[in-house]
Parts: sequence; C-alpha cells; structure tokens
Amino acid sequence: MSMGTDNKIIAFCCEKSAYLAADRAGRMRLYYPDNVRIIRVPCAGRVDALHMLRAFEKGAAGVLVMGCQEGACQHLTGNLRAKERVRYTASLLEEVGMDGARVKMVNLGPDMAQKFVRVVKDMAEKIKER
Amino acid sequence: MGIFLCDCGGSLKNIDFPKISGDLEKLEDVAFIDISHSLCLEEGEKAITSRILSENINRVVIAACSAELREHKFVRLLEELRFNPSLLSLANIREQCSWTCEGDVTEKATELIRMAIGKARLLQPVERKNVPVNREVLVLGGGFAGMKSALELSRLGIRTTIVERKSTLGGKLKEVEGFYGLETSLKQMLDSMITAIEKDNNIEVLTSAEVTRVRGEVGDFDITIGGGRREFSLSFGAIIFATGYRTEILPQDFELKPGGNIISQLDLVEMLRAPEKLKRRPETIGFVLDVCDENSRLPTLSSLNNVLAVREKLGSEVYVFCKNLKVDSEGAEELYREARNRGVVFLKFDEPPQIYREDGRVTIKAKDVLLGEEVVLLCDLLVAEERALPPEGTKGLSSMLNIGTDSQGFYQDENVHLYPAASARKGVLFVGGCRGNLDLGRALTDIASAVMGSYSLLALGEAVVEVEKVRVDPEKCRACLTCIRACPHGAIQLLRVNTEKEVAQISDLACDGCGVCAAVCPAKAINFEGYSDEQILAEVETIGG
Amino acid sequence: MIIAERKPFEEIKNMIAGYKRILVVGCRTCVTICWAGGEKEVGILSSQLRLQSGRNGNELSILEATVERQCEKEMVTQELGDKVQDIEAILSMGCGVGVQTIAEIYEDKPVFPALNTAFVGMPEREGLWIEMCAACGDCFLDRTGGICPVVRCAKGLLNGPCGGTRRGGKCEIDPEKDCAWVLIYRRLEKQGRLDLMRKYYEAKNYRKVKRPGKIEALEA
Repeated sequence: MSMGTDNKIIAFCCEKSAYLAADRAGRMRLYYPDNVRIIRVPCAGRVDALHMLRAFEKGAAGVLVMGCQEGACQHLTGNLRAKERVRYTASLLEEVGMDGARVKMVNLGPDMAQKFVRVVKDMAEKIKER
Repeated sequence: MGIFLCDCGGSLKNIDFPKISGDLEKLEDVAFIDISHSLCLEEGEKAITSRILSENINRVVIAACSAELREHKFVRLLEELRFNPSLLSLANIREQCSWTCEGDVTEKATELIRMAIGKARLLQPVERKNVPVNREVLVLGGGFAGMKSALELSRLGIRTTIVERKSTLGGKLKEVEGFYGLETSLKQMLDSMITAIEKDNNIEVLTSAEVTRVRGEVGDFDITIGGGRREFSLSFGAIIFATGYRTEILPQDFELKPGGNIISQLDLVEMLRAPEKLKRRPETIGFVLDVCDENSRLPTLSSLNNVLAVREKLGSEVYVFCKNLKVDSEGAEELYREARNRGVVFLKFDEPPQIYREDGRVTIKAKDVLLGEEVVLLCDLLVAEERALPPEGTKGLSSMLNIGTDSQGFYQDENVHLYPAASARKGVLFVGGCRGNLDLGRALTDIASAVMGSYSLLALGEAVVEVEKVRVDPEKCRACLTCIRACPHGAIQLLRVNTEKEVAQISDLACDGCGVCAAVCPAKAINFEGYSDEQILAEVETIGG
Repeated sequence: MIIAERKPFEEIKNMIAGYKRILVVGCRTCVTICWAGGEKEVGILSSQLRLQSGRNGNELSILEATVERQCEKEMVTQELGDKVQDIEAILSMGCGVGVQTIAEIYEDKPVFPALNTAFVGMPEREGLWIEMCAACGDCFLDRTGGICPVVRCAKGLLNGPCGGTRRGGKCEIDPEKDCAWVLIYRRLEKQGRLDLMRKYYEAKNYRKVKRPGKIEALEA
C-alpha cells in the first residue's frame, strides 16, 4: 500500500441525493476531511458487496454508501437493498477479522449538506481510532 | 484520450493545474491535456470542438464543476460533434474538491481525475436510437379524473380510450351532492363533460368493460379488454389509472352498525336532496370524524361540505367531534371557518368517543381536549365518517401490471416527493382518488402532471433510447428470475432470444437506469454501460495508487 | 435444483491455510441460481480471502474462474485447462458433484469444498429456498396429490398421518410445520381422489443397494 492510501474513505453517492448533498456542501464551503473520494452511482442499489470489499482491498479505511431517505428512492427499494448489502458486507468484514463498522449506510436528501459533512467526519474519526 | 481541465474562470486557485497536467502527460494513452478557464462558455465549447474534430481521440475526460450542472451540456455538445457521449467521463474538482478541501487540494484533484481516467478507459459507446411508440393512451376509469385527463390529452392531439367498468361515465360525480362554494352544480359539470367527450373524435369510450390482461412495455402496451362476452386487444403507449376510490364505514371504526339514526355521509347527501320528505327534522346532528388517523382528506372535505349543507337546508344544531381536522386542502380552511361562523360546534377529542344508542337517540361521549372535561351529546342523528378506500379490483389490477400498492392499498407512487403522478413503471400513471389522499385541487394538479407526462413521452410518436445500455448477456444468463423480481420498474421480461433458451431481456425504453439488476445478478450477466462492475471498480482501485 | 450454501468462513479459511496459490472456481448452474457459488460469490469470497491474508501478512494469490457446469468433465477442462498449472490447491464453489468432478480430473491437486450442498429444492420467494424432493428414487407423487411426504412429513410416513397432528393441522414434531398428510388429504379432496388414501404402500426397501445411484440410458 502506498503512502496516503491508509485512511481513504470511499463514498458511493447516489446521484439523486448524496452526490447533490456533497455539491451543496461545496457551495456552502463546508470543509470535510480531504481523504474522501466520491464515486457517483445512479442509485445506492447499484453498489454491490464486491465494490465495497474491493475498496478495502485497495487500502480504503472506510466505506460509505449514501442514498436517498427511505421511502424517497426513485427506484422504490434501491436504498433498502443497499442497506441490506451494507449489513451483509459488514458481516463479511467481521468474518475476516475486520471491524464491520467501517462500512456504513447513510440516508439523506439532496439538500442535506450538513448531514453529508457530519457522517463523513464521523467516519473519518472512527477510522482514526483504529 | 483527451483531457480537459477547467479552472472555473481562474477561481480554483488552490489547484495547481500545470502540475496536474505535468503528471498526467506521462500516461501513455493521453493524447493531450487542455487547461481552460470556462468549458461551459462559448470559448470552452470552441476549444472542445476544435480538439475533437482535429485529434484522433476516442475517450474524453472532463475535470470541472459538478456533473449535475454540466453533464447535459457536454453530452449535447458531443452529440453535435458526432462523438458518442457515453465515452465521456467526468471528475468533480470544484464542488467536491476545491471548495471543500483544506489540505493538499491538488493531490485530491489529481486522484479524482485519475479515477475518471481509469473509468474512461473501460467505457464503451452506446448507440442512441429512435424507437416508435404508440401515441394512444388508455384511461382506466371514467370518473372525473379519467374524463378530465382524456379531454386534456385530446386538446393536445392525443387520442385516448376510456375504459369504464360501470355502464355510464361519471364515477363519484354521480354520487356526491356538491362542493360547497363551487358555483357549478356537479350535475352540470358531469353533463357538460360527457357531452364534450361524446363530441370529441379523439376520445373513445368503452363502458361495461374491464381490462383483463396487460402485456408489453411503455410505448407498446398490449391490453386485452373484456366487456360482456367480447374480448379484444388494443395497443397503447401509456396507461393512466383513474379508478377512483370507494367509501365505507369500517366496522373497526364504529362498533355500532350503521342503520336507523347512524348514517353515512352518502345517506346524508341523499337526505339533503329532498329535505321536505323527512318525517321529522332532526334537531341535533352529530358528526364524528378522524376516528382513523390515516384517513384521506376526501371524507373530511365532504363532512365539512355536508355540515354547511345541513345548517342551510335543515337548520339543525350541528356538533362535530374531531381529532385533527385536515384542512390543508385548498378551500378547506375557509369551509371550516364558515362552519364555525354558522354555529357549528367543533369538539376536539384525543381518545375515540364512546357511542351508543339510547332511547331512540344516539349518545356520544368524549373528553374534549380543550375543556379538559367529558362532553356528552344526545343527538337525533349521527353521521359517521367513512374511510376512503381503494376501489375493488385494485389488487388484481396492480398485480396484472406489476405495480405496487402502498400500506393502505392505494397505488404506490414512484417517488412521493418528486413524481407524484407516476408509478414505478414508465408509462403507467395515476390520477385522482385512486392515489389515496386527495382533494379536488390536488386531483387537478395530478391530471396536469399525468397529461404532460404522457404527452412528453408519446407526442412525437417516437422516443430516444440508449440501445442496450443495460444488457443481459444471454450466454451467462441462467434465467434465475432474480433481476426480473428485483427490477423496480418492471422493465425486465423472460423472453426467448433467437429461438434459443429463455433469458432475461431488458426493455431499453422502460429501463430507468438504476442498476439494481446488475448488482443482484448472481451470474454477473448484466452489463450496465457507464456503471459496470469493471468501471466502478476502476474508480475504486485508483485509490490503491 | 440443487441448493447449497457457503460454509462458515472460518472453516474455509482453515481448509486453505498454508497454501499460497489457489484457484477459486464457481459454477454457473444450480449454485448461481441459489446465490451460493456463482461468479459473484467467487468474487466476494476471493475478496474476503485476500483481505484476510493481507491482514495476517500471509502470502496468498488467488485465481478466479467460473465453469458453466462443474459436473461436466469437458466443461471443467475447457474452462480450467491451463489455469491449474501453478496452482497449489483448488477451492470449489460448486455443489458436491462439482467438487468431486474437479478432484477426479486434477488428482494431484487438493480440492476443497467451499459450500455445503444442502438439498434439492426451489425458491419460495426471492432469496428463500426450501427443500422439495428427497431424491428417493421411487416417486409416488401421483398418489399424494403432488405433495411429497418423504420430505415434508417429519417422520417420512408413506401411509397417512401418524395420529399426532396438532390443532390447525400442524406437525406433532415441529409445530411450525404443516402436517404433510393433512395437506395431502386436502389436495386429494379437491381433486375428488380421496380413495387413494385407502391404498396402502409398502415401506421402502433400503436393503437393496441404492448408493451411489446409477442410471443408464438405453438410447444413444
């Protein structure tokens, strides 16, 4: 693992909610840790356990899957599937002796810039403790 | 590949663009790296245009502001230049980097651009094509919402067929007395609508008819309609559900069975039509509302209307027991105030009132929240609140069309906040009472949405699709049905491909691009161009250095 | 079809302990459909193993592959042919048949099962598989209205209920289960074939050598 990869956080962001919330955080000039890398997806339901595990394989210290609030997913249940997969992935991580809390499902609306920043900061804090 | 970096008019000062350019130049497959001040303005467009026309590149990476803002613009530009827009990869170095980063912004920007480059390498062109769509719309239900939708669509030049289960059009308009404050009588409204429909060449009406089978997708729904002994198939581009609602006094709301002096709103309306026929004028009338928290606005509105009608026509004393009177519909607040001004007494309860019959009258006992005391009312007539429920046949229709219903059984909206009249399936829309919580004002808005929605889908007689953007590989598909069950838009079917085995097939037009199918497929047979596993992993793996 | 599920990770980990170059091979047929050993699960398990070994500082290189049907020798050799050369051990995510087929072809390589092959069954709904057939080799579903008591009766009775059926038609042994014979009775009643309940059948003869089963087709 090269320098600087140790505490990267990969945030899979649904283009209808989290990606927009991140944009808003930018417009509001709310600073959050530099080590976040946002990957845009059409729906949180697109994110698979494989993608999350690969992130950890490549040295990510935390993974966030961020989608719409429950009941507000344009694809009805995409965010619920994502929630299940995150739970599943957390158990897969536990099986290999890693902390399942490193992967987290987040629900927010497109205007929730503050929440975006807060969850990112929380994850950054959490992985620092390890 | 060609890389364009935008420094947003020179404002992204914390990014060292020349350094990034220097780093990326070393990559083998990069043809050029241009730094621009404003890719979104004419100057930027000219730069992109000249590069694309002169250089031999097959991928474009643009690092600029949010994809949300500019993606459409770049896509359109590339289309004009005949460069397949699916070969474009974007990096957000403004809102999600320069504006929120405190440390080494250049390093973060570089990595974000590398992620976009990694993805770009794997992008494949997706053809855009026009497919013909059927311009006709099926309107299910000939009540107010259904008739109005058909009339509006006709004005836009779209032909519709109204399929009505009963023998005449009208729905609830035939049953309700009126809306207090509405100038036209409902009967007049109904008559004029029916006349307009009869005269309209764009509208065909089939009464005593029901839909028995639905196949196909948006643009080409194959509908089987049965009426009497006949059965025939018709093709439509879109379906608008206007199946309305029904009202009922549910036994769990009122322990006492209706009858005698406990009546429904409908009964009251009947009574008010001919008050002179009453043997004895009821002196005190009690209304009990909000026994069920989840109830729709429609019963509340009709109650308020009826309360005023009672005062006007019968002059009886009226007491209304309610919990949370839902007056957020247009005009409802005025109705409430008018009622109070006319002497109607509203009592607010928390615990449902006790109701029992006594000496030929009805007793209502409830604790008034404001007074803090128990109030006992003896009344001659109790008008019970009805629940608005989904019409009969909703379950059958919804499973026939593979659309969901919500917790109360009404049709489920695609997204209650953003697309209220649309269902999860493209081309299937809902209007009016069948959506649940509704009133006249909202119904009119729904109708407008649905009409515009179906018009924009079908008006041109053709629709643009991205051909096989999400594609099932028939070799790998095991027909396990997982994707078919998982697709929220009903866009996947099991079909025989080239007379070989049955595999899942995704409809380009009905697909909404969520990628859930690609994620669930256990055989990894579904390729979602632009967000394939390989493409997403390419972004993920970039962080490994 | 055959329904299997992945073994506990701990067990798999111990199987391959000490090997440095392994091949994880899935199957595109039954185990794909029941989400146990298809290409996706191969990817996920391999990812876990790499994470595991990375954490422990062990050296482990994994080659991933998926065979169309692991129980067909030709398909196995076609897919795995040259891949097996530098491999020390093979972790099969196929059913028991697949594991054994691979083991037979590559006799010099240890072949480990990543799955527990559970039963022959079907999906009741998305993600839930239940056993339906015991593969007893002597099907008499014609007489039981299409409901198999060998699988669905806790005691595997062939001639009607045991007499201990609980209220609501539930099984004496497992009150969550419906009594299979009650279900059979009701089904036959619907079809007007209750007379079948009066026929008595002999117990199955397990003395005849039944395993391994063998069936030979007469036609070429």
